[in-house]
Amino acid sequence: MKLADVTVKRGESTLLSGLSCQIRAGEVTVVLGPNGAGKSSLLLALAGLIPVLGIIELQGRPLSAYHRMELTAQVAWQGDLPPTEFGLTVKQRLELAAGESDVESTAAAMDIAPLLQRPLGELSSGERQRAELAALMLRDTPIWLLDEPTAHLDLKHQIHCIQMLKSQRDKGRAIMTVLHDIQQAMAIADHLILIDGKGGAEYGQAHQLFEGRKLTELFDAPLTQQGGVLMPDYGDHK
Amino acid sequence: MRWFILFSAVISCLLLGLAVGEQWINPFAASDALEETILWELRFPRLLTAFAVGGLLALAGAWFQVLLGNPLAEPYVLGVAGSASAGAVTGLMLMPESAWAMSAGAFVGAWIGIVTVMLFSHLGANRMLLAGVVLAAFWSAVLALLLALLPEQGLFRAFAWMMGDLSHSDIPVPVLLLAWVIALICGLILSRSLDKLLLGERHAEALGVDIKQLRSRLLLLASAVTALAVTAAGTIGFVGLVIPHLMRLLFGSLHSTILPASAIGGGLLLVLADSAARTIIAPAELPVGILTAIIGVPVFLFLLLRRS
Repeated sequence: MKLADVTVKRGESTLLSGLSCQIRAGEVTVVLGPNGAGKSSLLLALAGLIPVLGIIELQGRPLSAYHRMELTAQVAWQGDLPPTEFGLTVKQRLELAAGESDVESTAAAMDIAPLLQRPLGELSSGERQRAELAALMLRDTPIWLLDEPTAHLDLKHQIHCIQMLKSQRDKGRAIMTVLHDIQQAMAIADHLILIDGKGGAEYGQAHQLFEGRKLTELFDAPLTQQGGVLMPDYGDHK
Repeated sequence: MRWFILFSAVISCLLLGLAVGEQWINPFAASDALEETILWELRFPRLLTAFAVGGLLALAGAWFQVLLGNPLAEPYVLGVAGSASAGAVTGLMLMPESAWAMSAGAFVGAWIGIVTVMLFSHLGANRMLLAGVVLAAFWSAVLALLLALLPEQGLFRAFAWMMGDLSHSDIPVPVLLLAWVIALICGLILSRSLDKLLLGERHAEALGVDIKQLRSRLLLLASAVTALAVTAAGTIGFVGLVIPHLMRLLFGSLHSTILPASAIGGGLLLVLADSAARTIIAPAELPVGILTAIIGVPVFLFLLLRRS
């Protein structure tokens, strides 16, 4: 997928402009930036769910030229937790993603096999997030777009999620994900897109952009190097 | 097993509906030609009308709930009942002696309401719901104005119609039954997309649903079905709200199951309510809308308590 001079707007305000980059098979691109900067909107644009200015091409064709079903076969999107008012069970939710095949094994892989018959509304946010990740795993599309996949997850499942994404990248999947945890981003990113919330966006290789001062400016938050690792600076321990 | 119980209940209630009324008649052993006439020319068509109208209202309710992403939605939520009622009363004012003026007025009024709501269908579920609620308030005000202007002798007819009246439907039974079948088939064709819509519009779109097309088709279908039901029997509440919820509790959330279950369950409730309405104070009749509310409110409150 290729982006050229892409501008994303929300209403009248420009969230980001002039973004050019490529999302390649077998690579993870992590999107970082403050709240409201336009990270989720960028993913929605790449999934063809909101319009943008500029050019987005998928396999040489403009995204807008794709029929909805064609695009769905190429791009899978994981976003907010879906509503639970109508009593869908976890199994039904997974079957909506990709039919009945592989539901049991994928549920087992995401540690939700015992929850399959339970309504989504009876689950915790973390369990629902795991169900959403399982639904994504059932989508055998070349491109995955994930919006904060580790949100709501406990530490064990955050690690599991990052490992799963690494494994999918190694299988050749093109992945773009929004993350808020810098260490998770460092663990997985091949490329970074930094969105500053003021209309600016920067794209580059992860090892070039993971730099303390740049990220401190991006988030307007103190960071510190500990043992060579960039971490949020929470101040001294008592 | 649940389907067997549902079908058995329908057959039982239809037989019961044939038997009860101003006088008890055994449907298998009518004693004379008069009883035969009452059974098969009066009660049977009315029962089929009740079944079809109840099913149509329950289908429309299920569709509006998923279309608007709101479990409290029902067929009248977007103001179609208000505009149909205003149309019916207008028909009564213009042609007080005509037998079909109210039905014709209701049909025209319902479609005016539908077209008005369709203007807002591109705004998304929440804003469309808001527009519908505001329009419903507008049509209520128009209806109140018309009722204030209506001559006194027309008031009883107007109120009886507004509370639901199956005693003289102007739409032929075969038309209603055909509409029931067509509506159900259309619903089943859309059922997979409707299931995806349970995840919200964005998720549904990401799973391949053309959301704008689905929204306009569903709005048109649900509104047309509501218009037909209102034209046939006036405004009958609670069937479209309660039955889809009840069927979700019994049959789960997937539309390939709950749409046929709702179409049958809605018919069943209205057959029961209408049988009670024409029996309790026979030879007079209660408006059937009162009975559906009396049955519907406790069931709905029970569901709310169960949910919480």
